[in-house]
Amino acid sequence: MATDNMTWTKAASKTPVPTHTIARPSRTLGVQSYVPELLKGTALTMRHFFTNAKERLLGQKRDPVLDNFEGGITTIEYPEERRIYPERFRGLHRLTVRADDSPRCVACLCCSTACPAQCIHIEPAEYADGDERRGYERFPAAFVIDELRCVFCGFCVEACPCDAIRMDTGLHPVPYDSRDQFIYDKTQLLALTAPDGTRRTDNARHEPGDPTHPGLSRDHDAH
Amino acid sequence: MSGTELFVAVIKIAIVLGFLLNMAAITTWADRRQSAMIQDRVGPNRAVIYLPAWLVRAVVLGGGVLVAAAIAVPFWAKHPGLESARITTGIEIAILVVWTTLLLISARVRKDSDGVAPYRDGADSAFEERVAQLAPRTYFYAGLIAQLAALFFAQLAPAGFIVRGSSFGPGVAGSLAALAILLAAGYSAGRVGEDPVPLRLAGMLHALADAVKLIWKEDLRPRGADRLLFALAPMLAMFPALVTMAVVPFGSTLCFIDFDRDKVLSFADLAHLAPVVGPSGACSAGQLAVSLSIANLDVGLLYVFAIAGTGVIGAAIAGWASNNKWALLGGLRATSQMVSYEVALGLSIVGMFMVAGTVNLQKLVDWQGQNAWGIFVQPLAFVLFLVALVAETKRVPFDQPEGESEIIAGYFLEYSGMKFGMFYTGEYIEFVFSSVLLVTLFFGGYHLPFLDPDGLRITLGSDLIYELKLTHLAVSAIHIATFFGKTILMVWLQLFIRWTLPRFRYDQLMRLGWTRLLPLALLNIVLTGAAVLALESAGEPLGNAVAIAADISQSLVALAALGGSVLFVTGLLEPSRTKRITASSAAQMALAEGGIRAGKMQA
Repeated sequence: MATDNMTWTKAASKTPVPTHTIARPSRTLGVQSYVPELLKGTALTMRHFFTNAKERLLGQKRDPVLDNFEGGITTIEYPEERRIYPERFRGLHRLTVRADDSPRCVACLCCSTACPAQCIHIEPAEYADGDERRGYERFPAAFVIDELRCVFCGFCVEACPCDAIRMDTGLHPVPYDSRDQFIYDKTQLLALTAPDGTRRTDNARHEPGDPTHPGLSRDHDAH
Repeated sequence: MSGTELFVAVIKIAIVLGFLLNMAAITTWADRRQSAMIQDRVGPNRAVIYLPAWLVRAVVLGGGVLVAAAIAVPFWAKHPGLESARITTGIEIAILVVWTTLLLISARVRKDSDGVAPYRDGADSAFEERVAQLAPRTYFYAGLIAQLAALFFAQLAPAGFIVRGSSFGPGVAGSLAALAILLAAGYSAGRVGEDPVPLRLAGMLHALADAVKLIWKEDLRPRGADRLLFALAPMLAMFPALVTMAVVPFGSTLCFIDFDRDKVLSFADLAHLAPVVGPSGACSAGQLAVSLSIANLDVGLLYVFAIAGTGVIGAAIAGWASNNKWALLGGLRATSQMVSYEVALGLSIVGMFMVAGTVNLQKLVDWQGQNAWGIFVQPLAFVLFLVALVAETKRVPFDQPEGESEIIAGYFLEYSGMKFGMFYTGEYIEFVFSSVLLVTLFFGGYHLPFLDPDGLRITLGSDLIYELKLTHLAVSAIHIATFFGKTILMVWLQLFIRWTLPRFRYDQLMRLGWTRLLPLALLNIVLTGAAVLALESAGEPLGNAVAIAADISQSLVALAALGGSVLFVTGLLEPSRTKRITASSAAQMALAEGGIRAGKMQA
């Protein structure tokens, strides 16, 4: 294996590298006739079959995560059985809402900027004339996430200054028939909830007039 | 051929067709189900029919009544000389039903002391709680002891105790068995779950749903395909598989009494099955014999090979007519493989003909029943035949005609809908029939060790060890059940080959066929010929030794079957050892949530 012409590799050391030769597996008549191995293999599959058949017949099916029976196999029968996802599992995105059920998102584009997969598309829009939020913050006229492109890194959640986007739904995108079914628009994202079924967050958004946060104002002169 | 004979032939054809088609569907299911069980999954189980609970109760109860009647009524018929044996049989059935029911209740209800059976139902009543005091295994052992004791005490009963010519004793014993069945059925009917009851038949409905789906699917025909041949190929693939079973006997010859004394089988005679037959099984003079094969041909096995050999035409034509190069390659592969292995298949069985001196399957089966099973007479031929048979039915590890990675799906690549379904059905029928052939040629067909046509008789050489007389009806029923049971067991074993072995490469397959199997088959013929010659010239003493060896082989089969069943049940009832591992975070999370539970099955 000495390669003198390969200059990009490290030069071989002067002292010989200790090696040992692995014996070639002997192909005895038993191996070549295929019969003992055949019987062994069949016995193995049969053992699995009988162990599992027994568990089912006696109504003793084990918990696929907690119980391991000796020499057996534990398979989670998805989708009837589902692995329990950890609390911080990053699943499908959802948009959180304010007290009046409007999205918390202020269309600052932090998330779409942070997204390495560029799967978030936001069309910011101004509030109508006379709305108290006009000129102070914007809202997303369109908020679209392509879940097929998403790499589930969670950067969008970290980038969001308003706690408006979260990945705590506990859902993973199910396989669909066509690509357009993976594209979630604003209504779909708003409809998704946390695993406990709520859409609001404990992390309250403080509006002007909140006594715990004096000084909040939407008056332009205050900025 | 009289009208009655035609009627009987139609009935036999219906039985064979029904068995083959149902087995094809069930094997499709079992094939997937078995692989699932090996991996600890339920497998296909989503097809479901919801039945109202009253209907399920009615079916369970009605079925119980029917079975009980079918068992009790024949026991009230008079069979002089058989009273003792019939009383024993009735009591044995009653004991069997009782301990099986108790065992099942205990297995469903009993919670193990260490709580390893969290999914069990729990007791419904005080009776169940009392039954569950004992472990299922205790019921099994107690039942076995009770059965043996009943056999033993029946032999001890004084001869005067049993009234000869009276049907009272057997009738009471039969009614006892019927009562036990009725009680078990009634109890099961009471335990039917909440309304509506989901009927899944262990997932077997899935095969039915698949067939319905295939029938309604679009039937595509590729552009440029030969219209006639493309439609003909699936039929050619399915037809030979169906008709080969015609010469196989699926039960012992039935003897009918010539009731209207016209020496021709008529409908009046069909109601009069002979009560008993002689130890040879041959019908006595004046009785009418009905063989339980559709056609009892003298060329027997040659017919099977001739028809089965034409099965390859379907595959070849399908590959050619599809106008697809992958399908053509698949068709070519199928053709060359089947032609190659046909040679080894035919030659490997020649030794069996030489020993038995016939190719008539009925005679071959009877020879095995009187002497020894084919697997003991021709062990090498059995291995060769099995290998060639697996290759002939194009199943793993010889499934080269289909190769997803090489030629997509093989010769039926372009087929859709029920045409594809016909190929598949044909393939599975062939598979079931291969098991039928194995049973007929090597596992004694419908024969059980020591079960003669007139009853159970255990002998070793010329010594009689145990005897239990049985009626012709009972023995015939046992024979038919034995044949189909053996076939199903063989199918089950062959499926394990499929789920265990990796496939061969195409050149390995050809080399195995021509350079290994063929010479070995020829060698087997030579060796068998030499052995037959030696036996004929050696005369009496060696012949007696061979007869004793044959009886020993029968005892071995009987012991292996009995021991195997006992081991199987005890193994099944033994709680499995588990250890709970909660080291991983996933397991800790699962534990906090109370474990992973199966949700509702949904489509």
